[in-house]
Amino acid sequence: MLVLLLSHFGLAASVPFVARRLGRATFVLAAAAPAAALVWAGFRLAEVVSGGSVTASLAWAPQLGLWFALRFDALASAMVALVAGVGVVVLVYCSRYFERDEPGLGRMAGLLVAFAGAMLGLVLADHLLALYVFWELTTVCSFLLIGHRRDEESRHAAVHALLVTTGLGLFMLVGLVLLGQAADTYRISALLAEPPEGGPVSVAVVLILLGAFAKSAQVPFHGWLPAAMVAPTPVSAYLHAAAMVQAGVYLVARLAPAFADVAAWRPLVLSVGLVTMLQGGWRALREDDLKRLLALGTVSQLGLLMVLFGAGSRTAALAGVAVLLAHGLFKAALFLTAGVADRQTGTTRLDGSTGLWRRMPGLFGAAVLAAASMAGLPPLLGYVGKEAAYEAFLHEGVPALVLAGIVAGSILTVGYSVRYLWGAFGGKPHTLTAAPVPLPRVLGLVAPAATLALASLGLGLLPGEVHVLAAAYADVFAGGEEYHLALWSGWTPAFLLSAVTIAAGLALHPLRQWIEGAVVRVPDAGAVYRATLRGLDLAAVTVTRRIQVGSLPVYLTVILTTLVATPGVALVSHGALPSTLRLWDTPVQLMLGLLILTASAGVAVARRRFTAVLLLGAAGYGVAALFVVHGAPDLALAQFLVETLLLVVFLFVLRRLPPRFLEARQRPPVSHAGAAALAGLLGVFVGGFFLLAATARRWPSVSAGYLDRAREAGGTNIVNLILVDFRALDTLGEVSVLAVAATGVASLVLVAWRGVGGGDGDPAMTEESEKRRRRRLTPRAREAPRRRWLAAPYGPPLGPRSVLLEAATRIVVPTALVLSAYLLLAGHERTGGGFAGGLVAGMAFVLRYVAGGRYELTAAAPVRPASVIGLGLFVAAGMAVPGWVGGGEIFAGTVLEATLPVLGHVKLVTSFFFDLGIYLVVVGLVLEILTALGAQVEEEGGLAQ
Amino acid sequence: MNLLVPLPVVLPLLASGVLLVARRHVLLQRLLSLAVLGAVTVDAAVLLVAADRGGPLAVQTAGWAAPLSVTLVADRLSALLLLVSSLVVLIVLLYAIGQGVSGTSEAEPTVFHPIYLTLAAGVGLAFLSGDLFNLFVGFEVMLASSYVLLTLSPTRERVRAGMTYTVTSITSSILFLTAIGLCYAAAGTVNLAHLAARMDGLPAGIREALGALLLVVFGVKAAVVPLHFWLPDSYPVALSKITAVFAALLTKVAVYGLIRTQTLLFPREDVSALLLVLAMATLLVGILGALAQEDINRALSFTLVAHIGYMLFGLALFSLAGLAGAILYLVHHILVQAALFLASGLLQRHRGTTSLRSLGGLADDAPRVALLFFAPAMSISGIPPLAGFVAKLGLLQAGLAAGSILAYAAAATAVATSLLTLVVMARIWVTAFWGAPPQADRQAGEQAGGQAGRGPAARVGSTRAVRFGFSLMDGTAMALLIVGLAVAALAGPLSAVSARAADGLLDRTPYRQAVLQEVRS
Repeated sequence: MLVLLLSHFGLAASVPFVARRLGRATFVLAAAAPAAALVWAGFRLAEVVSGGSVTASLAWAPQLGLWFALRFDALASAMVALVAGVGVVVLVYCSRYFERDEPGLGRMAGLLVAFAGAMLGLVLADHLLALYVFWELTTVCSFLLIGHRRDEESRHAAVHALLVTTGLGLFMLVGLVLLGQAADTYRISALLAEPPEGGPVSVAVVLILLGAFAKSAQVPFHGWLPAAMVAPTPVSAYLHAAAMVQAGVYLVARLAPAFADVAAWRPLVLSVGLVTMLQGGWRALREDDLKRLLALGTVSQLGLLMVLFGAGSRTAALAGVAVLLAHGLFKAALFLTAGVADRQTGTTRLDGSTGLWRRMPGLFGAAVLAAASMAGLPPLLGYVGKEAAYEAFLHEGVPALVLAGIVAGSILTVGYSVRYLWGAFGGKPHTLTAAPVPLPRVLGLVAPAATLALASLGLGLLPGEVHVLAAAYADVFAGGEEYHLALWSGWTPAFLLSAVTIAAGLALHPLRQWIEGAVVRVPDAGAVYRATLRGLDLAAVTVTRRIQVGSLPVYLTVILTTLVATPGVALVSHGALPSTLRLWDTPVQLMLGLLILTASAGVAVARRRFTAVLLLGAAGYGVAALFVVHGAPDLALAQFLVETLLLVVFLFVLRRLPPRFLEARQRPPVSHAGAAALAGLLGVFVGGFFLLAATARRWPSVSAGYLDRAREAGGTNIVNLILVDFRALDTLGEVSVLAVAATGVASLVLVAWRGVGGGDGDPAMTEESEKRRRRRLTPRAREAPRRRWLAAPYGPPLGPRSVLLEAATRIVVPTALVLSAYLLLAGHERTGGGFAGGLVAGMAFVLRYVAGGRYELTAAAPVRPASVIGLGLFVAAGMAVPGWVGGGEIFAGTVLEATLPVLGHVKLVTSFFFDLGIYLVVVGLVLEILTALGAQVEEEGGLAQ
Repeated sequence: MNLLVPLPVVLPLLASGVLLVARRHVLLQRLLSLAVLGAVTVDAAVLLVAADRGGPLAVQTAGWAAPLSVTLVADRLSALLLLVSSLVVLIVLLYAIGQGVSGTSEAEPTVFHPIYLTLAAGVGLAFLSGDLFNLFVGFEVMLASSYVLLTLSPTRERVRAGMTYTVTSITSSILFLTAIGLCYAAAGTVNLAHLAARMDGLPAGIREALGALLLVVFGVKAAVVPLHFWLPDSYPVALSKITAVFAALLTKVAVYGLIRTQTLLFPREDVSALLLVLAMATLLVGILGALAQEDINRALSFTLVAHIGYMLFGLALFSLAGLAGAILYLVHHILVQAALFLASGLLQRHRGTTSLRSLGGLADDAPRVALLFFAPAMSISGIPPLAGFVAKLGLLQAGLAAGSILAYAAAATAVATSLLTLVVMARIWVTAFWGAPPQADRQAGEQAGGQAGRGPAARVGSTRAVRFGFSLMDGTAMALLIVGLAVAALAGPLSAVSARAADGLLDRTPYRQAVLQEVRS
């Protein structure tokens, strides 16, 4: 069975590739798979009608309970016969129906076979989740097939069908999972053997029924089926008449033996089925499009099938199987005749084809047979089923309303059967006779329809055989008298009802104009669907417009408010403030704290950008001073240097900006008072949190461990040891961040972006143009004068030349460079380290740049900054390797000691090289920023001149 | 074996240093990046097998015992996610190279490769780190790289979006740092395993507040509603290949951080009501946002937000099935988002836009792109038998088994979001692929006369390099599609690994023992 299934999907995947060569014959090739299924089912039929079954299974994801468990039994065999049989016929029909140059033939053939496979899997599945998988596969195939023509109507119809069946299918999925969890198994045969009970089961059953109703186009979810008639006719015949839409009914039939006695089952299924049957029949009588008429007929028949299978009694089930088979055969046959009528007359309008019966008697014959089966005339299969249906509800203590409903529905069915024949083939006086169209390929089109119609007749003449098959399923229902499917059961009440039905139905035809004009309208399910979608869109737009306002201040406000609110609640519940609180160690801390606060507040209210930057610097220096007070000179040094460097960088940036902050033209999205309040709240929250957290601690911090091991690591400066040894991996990460940041600044500033659009696929800005621009902005080393310091004829970037500055530069720069080397080397033992050293060296370069401009800078550091950064990153990351290669851990350091001539005793800790890497990256960062920002400043200066 | 753990971090950084120096050697840039990321992917696969067989692998960097040094840990969860993300990073790199070769983009700007490698290193560090501060460093490396990548070939729009993105990210980073400081203040350590041991001894209020604080921190980075605003405003404007990586990885790394910290530091027996509510809000607000969009990339970005809710949902249940579902969903979602954005990039190559108003007819003009979009679109909508269905099924089963009203509500929301995702995807599909082709475009196409595409590609001409580049782009997108399908086909082993990984999260002992063994002895 698994092979059979896989062959469908394999064939589906491969036929599109041969379609170009084979043309329409592709469909015949595609028919091989369902044909094989039909033959296989034929061989196994004897086994299953005697109550046996064939099983197979394949594990997919056992952890989630996903198995492809298959089981071929009596009910499955009826469906397989229908799915595979009609599939073969429809595919053969396709090979004549489509034009040779119809677009997408291969895709169509592939989808049809894939659908056949999915449908086969659906009816064979013995596992709730596997069933759902195939269920959805059929939906997707249906979606793609309905949309085949791609015009507006097809697109809407395809989406409509997809959303309704998948949406309700998701309800079903929830139901299936609930059911599986209640029973502790997803295997259907096991579920049926021991049905679970309880509250969740009732909910699950209702949810599953909803899915089945949508799939089988029951009221109120039926709107998608008539709309789906925009699909090519063979698709309508197969998916939307014979196979897919019967899946919901099939599922009801499958589950009825176990769950028909659940309280909600019968009222729900019977009422929905009856309403659907009557509503579909009534609308079919008023429909003036052939395909939609048949589709509404399908809706009506599916309602009948729901009632029969949902009733959960033996006779009803027998009738159900008979009607299931009959409906598949006659409805597919009728669609195929409608397709021919469409091809021959160019329309599917009821008044379009005039007198076709004269021109195509063979086709007419097939249509009459099929319609007779639909109307329930003897000796066709439809009659056998309908007799049984009447019988079932005549005798088995079901409300008389159900019987009345079925009879009424059947009368309507007779009515629209006649209407279809009249519409498709009859002569209508008020329409002009179209010019006779040549009728090519008649046989290839008529034969498939005739085959199906004759099958209805054949099975109708052999009710005994049908009974054996149906009984193999229906016998699971206990009780009921020994009813046999038969053509003639005597002068029973059922027979009389049949006669009445047919007579009344035929009487409807002369009344057609009255019916068409009648004011009895039923609500349109399509309108509900469209209104739902519109409402959804409106809700989406409204909600999104409210939430996604596009304002950064608002976003930050929400984030910070959430921050204060969420952990704040937990903190307040904790609420144990320490009893004794020492406010400060020395009053200096208080002063510094006030300084930082004042400076920060000043930044927020400053009007001039320059003032804001200076105040920001003041706050930073204040923090650095706090570090000093706490006895952390390394941190303080680094912080002082960073603040100073930042000031310089800001100077470059400020040159490009107006001196004052822009006055807000409209009310700011977050008011100043609100922002201040939030900031204050945040400060109190974080401060309070720290207080509570620190006082809650019961263990020593791990930092004590560093003191113990410092000697072992070969140094005395703990801060530096942590950076380059204990937690070198952190530092490597931060160094990478620096490298990335420098590269990012350069890439942002140096690439021209004013006015030049750039998107994917926009070649406006090629690598070449970027190169040229870079070359213009960053001078090469050889272009710079080399002989003397500050001899260049170029002025400083930020103002007129200053002798004082130049003189100071000459003195300070070499000193600073020596200092930076010292800091780098001494880091392990004393205050310093690669970071501080690099910053000092960077400051030296800044000074030289400020005094002499970019050529001066190039002369001082005749390398590309990016290379310095890259080298630094490589060295730092490379330090991970030695310890690693040596069999230890990455970054494991060793201490090398040696006595060298001249230098004397030298101690080298390998982590020095890590420091060196940091040093290089920092220097490179400063150079990169100077080059990028400075170049821009100077270029604009040049332009101004 | 332990030697392989730091590899995903160190190797890309080394290579990045080399490439910064050798900026102009395009061939070297491409080959070295490929080699390094290929090696990382293989390494991740080996780590996964090793961690799955022998439990978490812990490496004490610099050779000091656990709480002193930074510990790198590869357990099942981190190795699995590392493998999937390396695969995506590698595939998108190939795509970018293809785009560079074809010359349809401003190639790979010279900084692309080194920064892309640091991004990979950051992602690797975040997954492997066993230390809260180091986790922060990993995030910083990753985010710093992302700031640069987002604004590559800057346009006014990109710079503005970059502003929102950068400011929000830095805000959340400051909060992260504050949280680390608070953890250290309360517990005196930042090593995750060590923290886990000490956290149990803290007063409940402090512990809960720390948990909520970290939740907010990672929530911002993962774009959890109501902290998500930055994402839809910034992602759609970047280059498609960049967005593909961002969408696949960045928020997912944050979700990883959330799962790791919440399970390791703040374990609980029952479902978390707060997380469930956040999950529902994320699902609904995100998907409604997607419905309101008329641009494919924007719609996909909102979908990304919405689907973060699924992972939160799984985490919120704090059950084996829930966590396993969340992990499986992570794996699926990393792949599917990358695939969708790559498909959107290909579509842009053909049409030069992602606005639904001016798209149409792609199913006929670019059937390959149609396939490359359709499969992941169905997968993310949870249509069986694709990976999205399997992942969603896992979560649904877990949610329905949890037996709390709120969990039922969240399961219902998850199902509704699944349907709404389908609405979004179906709408994109019928408009862009089935809809009538835009008129102006058709004329341009007739003039160009070639089948190489009618977007900007047509202007470049059809040289061999262009064709090779195009087929490389298509091929990589196809490779991603195949990986996505493989996830569905291998759902059995994958869900089993996810379940074992989830088990490792709930039973914290193996993780703690692996990290702290030297402390105890």
